[in-house]
Amino acid sequence: MITWMRRNLFRSITDTILTVISASTLGYVIFQVFQFVFITGRWEIIQVNLKILLVGRFPEELMFLVGFSILATCFSIASLASGMNRPLDQPPTLAGKLWELFQRFGLIISTSAFLIVLAGDLGAVLFGAYVVLSIFAGTLFGRARRTTHLKRLPGWLWVAINATLPLVLIFLTMGQAALEEWGGFLINFYLAVVSIGLSFPLGVMLALGRRSTLPLLRWLSTAYIELIRGAPLFVLLLLAGVALEFFIPASIAPDAIFRAVTVFTLFTAAYLAEVIRGGLQSIPKGQAEAGKALGLSTFRITFLITLPQALRNVIPAQIGQFISLFKDTTLAGVALSVFDLLNVGTAITKQDDYLGQGLIYESLAFVGLLFWVGSYVMSRESQRIEKKLGVGIR
Amino acid sequence: MSNEVFKDASKMSGGRESDDAIIIIEGVYKRFKDFEALKNINMQVGRKEVVVVIGPSGSGKSTLIRCINRLEAHDDGHILVDGTALTTDIRNIQEIRKETGMVFQNFNLFPHLTVLTNVAIGPRRVRGLSKSASEELAMELLTRVKIPEQADKFPAQLSGGQQQRVALARALAMTPKVMLFDEPTSALDPEMINEVLDAMKELAQDGMTMIVVTHEMGFAREVADRVVFMDKGEIVEVGTPSEIFDNPKEERTKKFLSQIL
Repeated sequence: MITWMRRNLFRSITDTILTVISASTLGYVIFQVFQFVFITGRWEIIQVNLKILLVGRFPEELMFLVGFSILATCFSIASLASGMNRPLDQPPTLAGKLWELFQRFGLIISTSAFLIVLAGDLGAVLFGAYVVLSIFAGTLFGRARRTTHLKRLPGWLWVAINATLPLVLIFLTMGQAALEEWGGFLINFYLAVVSIGLSFPLGVMLALGRRSTLPLLRWLSTAYIELIRGAPLFVLLLLAGVALEFFIPASIAPDAIFRAVTVFTLFTAAYLAEVIRGGLQSIPKGQAEAGKALGLSTFRITFLITLPQALRNVIPAQIGQFISLFKDTTLAGVALSVFDLLNVGTAITKQDDYLGQGLIYESLAFVGLLFWVGSYVMSRESQRIEKKLGVGIR
Repeated sequence: MSNEVFKDASKMSGGRESDDAIIIIEGVYKRFKDFEALKNINMQVGRKEVVVVIGPSGSGKSTLIRCINRLEAHDDGHILVDGTALTTDIRNIQEIRKETGMVFQNFNLFPHLTVLTNVAIGPRRVRGLSKSASEELAMELLTRVKIPEQADKFPAQLSGGQQQRVALARALAMTPKVMLFDEPTSALDPEMINEVLDAMKELAQDGMTMIVVTHEMGFAREVADRVVFMDKGEIVEVGTPSEIFDNPKEERTKKFLSQIL
């Protein structure tokens, strides 16, 4: 320990000075944060407004739909994850497995536990238990796929079976409550998930379009990509708020959330297209030639050979785009007056009980925490997927 | 068969079924910008014939066989493969690619697919076999190139020699009538060259029509029916292995052979 310190922290005079400076800075920051979190911070504002922060004015009697959607999603993810064919390496030990689980879900679990404690009622505790149960059930279902006759199920059908229930529930939820009633973190989450889902295929198509041999398609894709990438996202969002009124009468104009999804999708697709194009360019020419020599059609060469490799090569950059999209959803709150987490967070400090008490710190800290957890989990998962797909490749 | 036909690449020749040419190349030119890669190539390959193409690097050997399955488009002349003329018509090109297998210098296996899927993808996606039928066929071919136990691995987990044998199996899975080899052993470590050459010899003995671009003169001497020497985009000399190696007529052939042997 002493030798380690001497070798790594106090090797020379410069090292010692740097060590002392960074250690005291770190200590000061930790002290301040600790003080804020545990002593001076007044967290009852979050506690009281927890529901509105998370789901806005979502109708109470429909909350069970949100709950079921979350449960179904947890079930499906767990089932898909454990139903995947294992890589050929030796299976991990139990301790290794637990450590991996902790690394993957520790943050989410502790955040959820934190939220449950904040909510402080029996319903929240029960819900937490249900989530754990559904993950467990999902894992069992996934294992059944690997071990029983379900093995013969084709991969796409397996994914479809798992995806159906959560998707149906999510759409049901969306249909039951008007989107204006949504709010809080649910909005950010919804905006991010839907925009990611829509922008991905669009981005792939744009990337392929830009590399196409058909000039018109190539020009159109290039023009689109360059146009969108040249405009600030905030301006596009503001534009979406007003510009549509020129074309469509206000009575049938789509609501703000629809506009936000459109802008985020179109915007992210342009960036994604460039990322994917880079991936496609990194695939050696020999791959397409080998496909041609076999007699595969251009379409199949693209979708069976070059594109899968390209997408895998650029996973970190893609997830990076998705993370920034997730955080940028707060811009929709400002530009389009969507009642998102950030808007709720600032609004609650203006409630009668809290007005003028400077509780904006507490509120923003909470907003920041939720986004950080989301982003960090995405980034960790991307590293994991990357590693997993990298097994035995090149 | 007279020795005459062996000396003229453009004659219907060399095959063990000599009056039946499977590949006919007439007056083919290929240009890359200002550089003439192929100049007036005339050549025929008979059914079940093994033709080895040798020559210094940049002589156009690879370009020639890449023109046969249209990985490069020739500029002038005609190429016929088993009666189908290579034109810009994509259907003709697909038709010819289905009948010609190719093995590349750098293997070009698909790194994201298992060995088995690499071999099965052609029969499944081009010939429309079912998943199980295509995998059965793939397994059969992997057994033939003596690596059935590697089926579930990924290409990167195999040695170079094993990878090239997978590539051979992948090409054979399309049951081609002609096999093209583009320097199949050049990227291999010396100790792995023989395992690939042995697999190729077996294939030749089974009566496959083969065009092989290689620097393995021992292989050429042992297996080839004819050896074609190319230099600067032209066919310089053609003959049986013993004619070319023991008794070359052209100055350029002599010079090349003295440099490599």
